[in-house]
Amino acid sequence: MLILVLYLLGVALLCALGIWFIGRHSRHSRHGRFSHGKNPVRTHGTTSRRKNRPRLGVQRKSEPYLFLLPTLLLLLLMFGYPLINSFIMAFQNYKLTAPGKIYFNGLDNFRKLFGESDIWLIIRNSFIYVLISVLGQFLLGMTLALALNKKFKLRGLYQAIVFLPWSLSAFVIGLMHRWSFNGEYGVINDMLIKLSLISEKIAWLGTPGFSLAVVIMAMIWMGIPFFAIMILASLQSIPISIYEASHIDGCGPLRRFFQITIPYIKPTVIVTILLRTIWIFNSFDLIVVITNGGPANYSQTLPSYMYTKAFSSYDFGLASALGVLLMAVLVVYVTVFLKTTRYNKAGNF
Amino acid sequence: MKYTAKRRLGNLGRGLILLIFMLLVILPIYWMIISSLKTNAEIINAQQVTYYPHQMTGENYTQLFKLYNYRQMLTNSLIVSISTGLCITLLSIFGGYGLARYSFRGKDTMLLFFLVTQMIPGILVIIPLYVIFSKLGLINTRLSLFFFYLIVNLPFCVITMRSFFERIPYTLEEAAYVDGCSKMTSLVRIILPVMFPGIVAVFVFAFIGAWNELIAGTIFINTSNLWTVPVGLKSLIGKYDVKWGVLMAGGVGALIPTAFMFAFMQKFVVEGLTAGAVKE
Repeated sequence: MLILVLYLLGVALLCALGIWFIGRHSRHSRHGRFSHGKNPVRTHGTTSRRKNRPRLGVQRKSEPYLFLLPTLLLLLLMFGYPLINSFIMAFQNYKLTAPGKIYFNGLDNFRKLFGESDIWLIIRNSFIYVLISVLGQFLLGMTLALALNKKFKLRGLYQAIVFLPWSLSAFVIGLMHRWSFNGEYGVINDMLIKLSLISEKIAWLGTPGFSLAVVIMAMIWMGIPFFAIMILASLQSIPISIYEASHIDGCGPLRRFFQITIPYIKPTVIVTILLRTIWIFNSFDLIVVITNGGPANYSQTLPSYMYTKAFSSYDFGLASALGVLLMAVLVVYVTVFLKTTRYNKAGNF
Repeated sequence: MKYTAKRRLGNLGRGLILLIFMLLVILPIYWMIISSLKTNAEIINAQQVTYYPHQMTGENYTQLFKLYNYRQMLTNSLIVSISTGLCITLLSIFGGYGLARYSFRGKDTMLLFFLVTQMIPGILVIIPLYVIFSKLGLINTRLSLFFFYLIVNLPFCVITMRSFFERIPYTLEEAAYVDGCSKMTSLVRIILPVMFPGIVAVFVFAFIGAWNELIAGTIFINTSNLWTVPVGLKSLIGKYDVKWGVLMAGGVGALIPTAFMFAFMQKFVVEGLTAGAVKE
């Protein structure tokens, strides 16, 4: 509670400072600006023009902060504060079932975490899940984008259909896959048997290995459109004249692809892959819907495990310790991301 | 001659690839829809899986509304998604404008901060927020979901809006100033009408983000009459007994609004998506 009060005070102080600063710089202009806003037609004329001009320079300084203030405030309050809070909880004995007994316990949570027999399995799952999902999405998305990069009849309609998975919820997608891969009544088993690829029904979601594979398949299905959209956009930004020039110079299609197309789309591809990697790592609703981590944690990843830990045993301390672990991974990742893409230097995304 | 033959082969291959991708998307959705139209006996028939409903029925849909209060779920989802969408649209108009039209100290840091918020796992924020919300008495209210969806979707929407603003030439605004418009008037009367499609796209992003979310919903809400669609449907997945027919019907209902929104706004959504995430 004390932290909350302190934090709120800090934010309030910052805001007050900001407002004071803005007020000091635009005190003279305030009145004029707002009266103009109400009645733009009447301010038409030389006087207002003369009034507006010299002010603009002064206003510019404070105005962007004013425009961004609500957004920043919300994000600081609802992202910043909780993150600090969860960092503190990681070093506490914090069980929601025993609210009276909250105290600092040093590294106990971390010891408990690494003492668990399944933790390495879960870390391994996370790696496999992220790696194969990203790779699958990228390769299939790239294929789709290349196929789409030529005008044909009804391309708009086709895109509306093929990009549709982007707008569907992980819940619905999870449901579809869970039902299709159902061991007894599922359509996948039935088809595989009819094609005589398998002779007996497979309990996809109850077998270690297969359950994670189903989750990955659902994840790939869900993410192809995003990759395709990104890569298609960058393919379409390649100037045609370059292709024409290469054609005149006698460049074959294969060489054209590797020496013109690939270098052109490389920056987009790298940024997309890096953004998607972290997004896939973080998202676990598919896991919750399809397998709920089962059987016996064989399809559990770090974030889904954190969710399970927090809301089945209500041991928020332990869950937060896992969260700190995630944060560490994140920090490393963000650094790598910034280094490879030089985002911070461009200041753009 | 050889050239055209080659080209034809290429077109054939391209067509084949496009066909496969279309089937890949359509078949699971088809399977969902026809499963929702089957009778329960036909669904749970381990001997024979039917590829179209032999006995078409709407009983799953009527059950959904009568027994499981689907109407209430839809209402809740709509309330949360629309209010989130509107609020985000408004905030990102201001934020996007500030980022697009000014260069100021701390801008790069701000952009970096937005980017980093996009990389933070949701669950990391949800757990402490649960504690905070329960202290503030917000658990089990739609307000908690509104706040959460707001902050989760806001950074991306601000960035997207920014690139929509950047596409509008500054001279348009300057002309308005010369004619005696103030900042606000020129924003409301000149610029916003021009970028109306972009604004709708941002609303669609926020709406879809809120409509589709599951995890925060299951955590922040535990009374059944406040459940959103995914949360309510998830409660139908029992440990031993799963009502597949009803679930599929509910899933179809859940995907209709977002699918339609996407289909109609496809061009602008795709534009926004590429503008918001990567910018060369």
